[in-house]
Amino acid sequence: MPFDAANLFPILPEIAILVTASVVLVLDLYLKEKDKDINHTLTLIGLLVAIGLTGAVGGGDARVVFDGNVVRDGLTDLLRGAILVVSLLAFVYARPWLKDRGLFVGEFYVLGLFAILGMLIMVSANSFLTIYLGLELQALSLYALVAFDRDSKKGAEAAMKYFVLGALGSGMLLYGVSMIYGATGSIEFGPVAQAVAEQGMDNKVLVFGVVFLVIGVGFKFGAVPFHMWVPDIYEGAPTPAVLLLGSAPKIAAFALAIRMLVDGLEAIQPDWQGMLLILAVLSMGLGNLVAIAQTNIKRMLAYSTISHVGFIFLGLLAGSAQGYASAMFYAIVYAVMSTGAFGILLILSRKGFDAENLDDLKGLNDRDSWYAAMMALVMFSMAGVPPTVGFMAKLLVLESVVRIDLVWLALVAVAFSIIGAFYYLRVVKVIYFDKPDPDMPVLTTSGGVRFAMSLNGLSLLALGLFPATLLSWCQSVFV
Amino acid sequence: MNLFFVVLIPFLGAGLAAWVSRFGRLQSAWMAGGVTLVALIALTPSLPAPFLGETLVQRIPWIPALGLDLVLRLDGLGLLFALMVLGMGLLVILYARYYLAERDCMGRFYGYLLLFMGSMLGIVLSENLILLLMFWELTSLSSFLLISYWQHREDARTGARMALAVTGLGGLAMLGGFVLLGEMVGSYDLSVVLANGELIRSDPLYTPMLVLILLGAFTKSAQFPFHFWLPHAMAAPTPVSAYLHSATLVKAGVFLLARLFPVLSGTSQWSILVIGAGLATLLIGAYFALFKHDIKGLLAYSTISHLGLITLLFGIGTPLAAVAGVFHIINHATFKASLFMAAGIIDHECGTRDMRRINGLWRYMPYTGTLAMVAAAAMAGVPLFNGFLSKEMFFGETVTFSANHTWDWLLPAAVVVAGIFAVAYSLRFIHDVFFNGDPIDLPKTPHEPPRWMKVPVEILVAICLLVGILPAFTVAPLLYVAATGVLQTAPPDYDLAIWHGVNAALIMSVIALIGGILIYAGRRPLFNLATKLEGLLDARAVFDGLLKGLLALAGAVTRILDTGSLQRMLLVFILSALTLGTVGFLGGGAPLTGDRDLLPADAVSLLVTIALIIVALWTVVLHRRRLTALIVMGALGLLVSLIFVKFSAPDLALTQLSVEVVTIVLLLLALYFLPQYSPAESSWPRRVRDIGVACLAGGGAAALTWSVLTRPYESIADYFLENSVPGGGGANVVNVILVDFRGFDTLGEISVLALAGLGIYAMLKDLRLPGPTCDARGRPWNWDMHPVIMAALTRLLLPLALLVSAFIFLRGHNLPGGGFIAGLITAIALIMQYLANGVEWTHVRMTSNLHPVIGAGLLIGLLTGLASLVFGYPFLTSAFTHVHWPVIGDFELASAIAFDLGVYLVVVGATLLILVHLGLMHHASHPGEQEPNHA
Repeated sequence: MPFDAANLFPILPEIAILVTASVVLVLDLYLKEKDKDINHTLTLIGLLVAIGLTGAVGGGDARVVFDGNVVRDGLTDLLRGAILVVSLLAFVYARPWLKDRGLFVGEFYVLGLFAILGMLIMVSANSFLTIYLGLELQALSLYALVAFDRDSKKGAEAAMKYFVLGALGSGMLLYGVSMIYGATGSIEFGPVAQAVAEQGMDNKVLVFGVVFLVIGVGFKFGAVPFHMWVPDIYEGAPTPAVLLLGSAPKIAAFALAIRMLVDGLEAIQPDWQGMLLILAVLSMGLGNLVAIAQTNIKRMLAYSTISHVGFIFLGLLAGSAQGYASAMFYAIVYAVMSTGAFGILLILSRKGFDAENLDDLKGLNDRDSWYAAMMALVMFSMAGVPPTVGFMAKLLVLESVVRIDLVWLALVAVAFSIIGAFYYLRVVKVIYFDKPDPDMPVLTTSGGVRFAMSLNGLSLLALGLFPATLLSWCQSVFV
Repeated sequence: MNLFFVVLIPFLGAGLAAWVSRFGRLQSAWMAGGVTLVALIALTPSLPAPFLGETLVQRIPWIPALGLDLVLRLDGLGLLFALMVLGMGLLVILYARYYLAERDCMGRFYGYLLLFMGSMLGIVLSENLILLLMFWELTSLSSFLLISYWQHREDARTGARMALAVTGLGGLAMLGGFVLLGEMVGSYDLSVVLANGELIRSDPLYTPMLVLILLGAFTKSAQFPFHFWLPHAMAAPTPVSAYLHSATLVKAGVFLLARLFPVLSGTSQWSILVIGAGLATLLIGAYFALFKHDIKGLLAYSTISHLGLITLLFGIGTPLAAVAGVFHIINHATFKASLFMAAGIIDHECGTRDMRRINGLWRYMPYTGTLAMVAAAAMAGVPLFNGFLSKEMFFGETVTFSANHTWDWLLPAAVVVAGIFAVAYSLRFIHDVFFNGDPIDLPKTPHEPPRWMKVPVEILVAICLLVGILPAFTVAPLLYVAATGVLQTAPPDYDLAIWHGVNAALIMSVIALIGGILIYAGRRPLFNLATKLEGLLDARAVFDGLLKGLLALAGAVTRILDTGSLQRMLLVFILSALTLGTVGFLGGGAPLTGDRDLLPADAVSLLVTIALIIVALWTVVLHRRRLTALIVMGALGLLVSLIFVKFSAPDLALTQLSVEVVTIVLLLLALYFLPQYSPAESSWPRRVRDIGVACLAGGGAAALTWSVLTRPYESIADYFLENSVPGGGGANVVNVILVDFRGFDTLGEISVLALAGLGIYAMLKDLRLPGPTCDARGRPWNWDMHPVIMAALTRLLLPLALLVSAFIFLRGHNLPGGGFIAGLITAIALIMQYLANGVEWTHVRMTSNLHPVIGAGLLIGLLTGLASLVFGYPFLTSAFTHVHWPVIGDFELASAIAFDLGVYLVVVGATLLILVHLGLMHHASHPGEQEPNHA
């Protein structure tokens, strides 16, 4: 059938990222060592262009292109923007770290850009096939990024684990998709939703399909009991890779859940609600509890991620427009917080030294009070202390759970967030009250990093004080 | 909008106060005082409203999507607290200017103080519960900053952390309560909440909601068993204590009780919880206060005790009790603040706070002593001081409340005991410090403090006296509007007169006064008892214990679950998947077996299936002997292709067959560098467990397959079967799909194949690995690398194989075959030459450069696709025609065959490239080169 070039218009941001990745890939071959900054600049320009294009092609009614495989709607616009902005920050933070270690090479940027491309495809997917393609593109790039520092044994081990478990997770997801296809005869979300609404849960194949989809979603989010990869990967992988894989992919995972479970399978929401409920409680409980015992801050943040995933699930399982919007709000906010936290770790690292342990943050206030304040903001936001945005996010998901009369769940969530507050505040205590080791060198950072981090940290405060805009965007997606 | 300014000004002022400190130490104090005054002025326009019985509500839209607005409210209660916060703030700012030492940073202090003041104002003026909560947490944070002001001191840091942990976490619990409350009435606005008392009290979730909100209030107001943080917070500078523990921070909890009093009170849950906590706190606080040697410690416990008293009053739940509660809030704020300031002066002048050393100060500072005496008398509840009035009301209420209960003497008796201790500790504060012999070994010689340091104390003491003597002319109007604000209706009649005649309350007061003096006189033996009891009742131990327990639990869970073992992870993963699958299976009502008719089982299928099972099991059994297992796996592939044949899919069977051969060769090449046997690493029980898990997972997969296969489905195959000949001109559907229907996909796939080949080539190009050439006993694996017979045979076979592949290629469009399979056959035929004759021999006769082959294949594929564009058709449209060749006969020629040629070339090139270079990794493939020295 004839190809209509108008199909390309809604995916211009994806095209921009693809072009940037290809240009960096080829250009890198011809760049001298001292000119590698061009990679960095090109990447940032590409991301900025993609952000601009997201705005340019965004808005208006949903448009389905590529024979029903790709869609551009409100969800796409907002999540695309969030992914691109968060990734932009990540690349800015990563540069000094890479330079210090002689890893300032094109591969990092190419792999990172391809991962971003995968995420963008996920958020604009309108069929199981497209979303799976995006997911795998993202996952494969991230596997490689985890093993990016080839001399690091820990990194190699982490990548190996990530790959083995990730392949299993993707396999499960694909298994589920094939069963959904078998039960409904389609891989596009629209027809699947229609067929599911007609059959309900009478079809055993559909039941199993949903189970495997939930497992896949749980794995990609890192929800308990499919979380085991998270701590090891966070600890073992080079921090810039963790920064990339710990922030924006959560937004993409949210898109995965919304597209598959809501767009495709909303008719059987009561059935996946139960499963998400189990995963949510387990994630909040285990994540918060185990995080307390960690002395490695990357590992602690990994478990904190797991607990935040539990909170995102609370909004998802509510099954209401308000619930989805609050989960979306939470996912975006979490990505921003996590970027900030790992950004600080990157700033604290220097040649031959990686900030990994809680002790490495000792007396940050004496070394650089501005960064200390930003890190404190991030921690307060993660703990859900007002007036930071973390509080708003928690409040929203709790409210959506209470609205469907799952009060006990809200109480459990509150109880676990109380436990969770403990370890976030411990970080603040270390920053402000402990004395830095005398042999700690002076922190050196560039103006760009400082600017990005200030933006990152203050945005948590600003969003907490004025959440209306972002929230109304989130809500307008699910009307 | 003036209320917004009232709240906002301190926040802005905090920044200013910190900033101006760079222009001089005292600038911050001036700035802070000025800011507070401005906030007070901003409040004045609204002052008349509560007295006129109005409730001011000011609103700015905030999060319309959530129905949340920035709303502030001013009624009597809010007004009382706002005045206390601002007024006390002014006094403390003045006091602190003289209290703080040269080396203390003034800017930071006043910045924090104003931050706290703003948060506190936010709490008392909030109309919206969520907003209230946000300010609530802000007071936790800013009080944390204030308490830890002397950061160099260990006790300040621990105290601050404990205060933050307890009050902040209580706030989170309160959040849960507020969300519930908001859901009950459908709004977070206080006006709505306060108007729906009945609805709230009859809600099934009333109890959990109440408990959560009370958790917040009790932690903030240091109620038993959360009282322990307050004494530790005494590490703060004394002005901070005077501010936080008299009129502000700890009053936030009782403020909340007062605020929600109309809707929450009046149930038995409320009475039990609030009276219980209040009474326990009242007694424990009063008791411990007597035995503290630290002046501030004494005041801390007395604060706890008085907070318990107020809580108890609200717990009683009658309107009159609520009025008494509000009254005592005012009184306690005045006398406690002045006492803290006096204690600060003493500390400041003596350099210590230990009452065992501070004695007989009357001679050195009689003026301060007089002020302290008045305040202490108010605290003890001596007539003519303000504390007496509210305490009278309190005693009276307990008697009235108990009148209707059995055990009616218990509550009054308990509060009298508390009253006795209150008198005793007040007496101790005066007697021990100002009399009782001479000072012992003081670091400084005490003298009267600077003039202006005493002024705040004087003002407060004056209020104590005025209220105590002339209540009707001083406090009455404010008390009336505040009580109205609490009750949300006009308060019942009450009498503020000092003399009510001889009644129960008066008798209780007298008992308390006399008993207090007696207890103080005979206090010595009691000290030992107190030290013993303190260990039992100090909830700090519980707090620390809980913390330790939590840490231990976290550690234990981590050790069990977080081992970092990949095997463990996979086990958990698979078991979780199985569990979820089982839940899904049991949950739905649908049967496992679908409604499709089963085919009869014939002998061939049965045999093949049995063979398949046996071979699969055999592979598992043999899996430690890698080479053998691999060959058995090959058999498995062959059986699968037999199944394809059985179900009339010869083209699939052919593809499966050729792919199987290539993959086995590939794996063999890789195995060459690996050990021959996999060692058994896991123990027997573990292997049994793994077998069990594997059986379960396999069974699950089988059940799934069964349920899929027994259900009817609409296959897309029909479409292709129908359209293959008319649309693509070929009867071999698989081939037509590859080169026509899905031609674009195939083009992509061969590009990937080509890239994979090139990638592997790039990685392996100059890689040389030492591989074993001898067995364990040093015998070479084979004496003749290239046996003559085999070499000759494969050479003979080559033309034959190539002919077969050409045949397969040409017939592909209509009969089983095609470019892909033909490519694999050619590749295998050529690989045979490498294996049998060696690389050198082969490379003399055949080019080793395969890149042109791959490139040509891709180019042909692409050009075929583009050609259709030239004729005005979409990319890769195929055309076909029939030509009649002599000898051979009718032959169909489709443009797709050119595309298939591209596929063929890429497959040959890429497969060869990969396999040859895998083989070349081995040193044995390069007999001309020297073995590298691996010493």
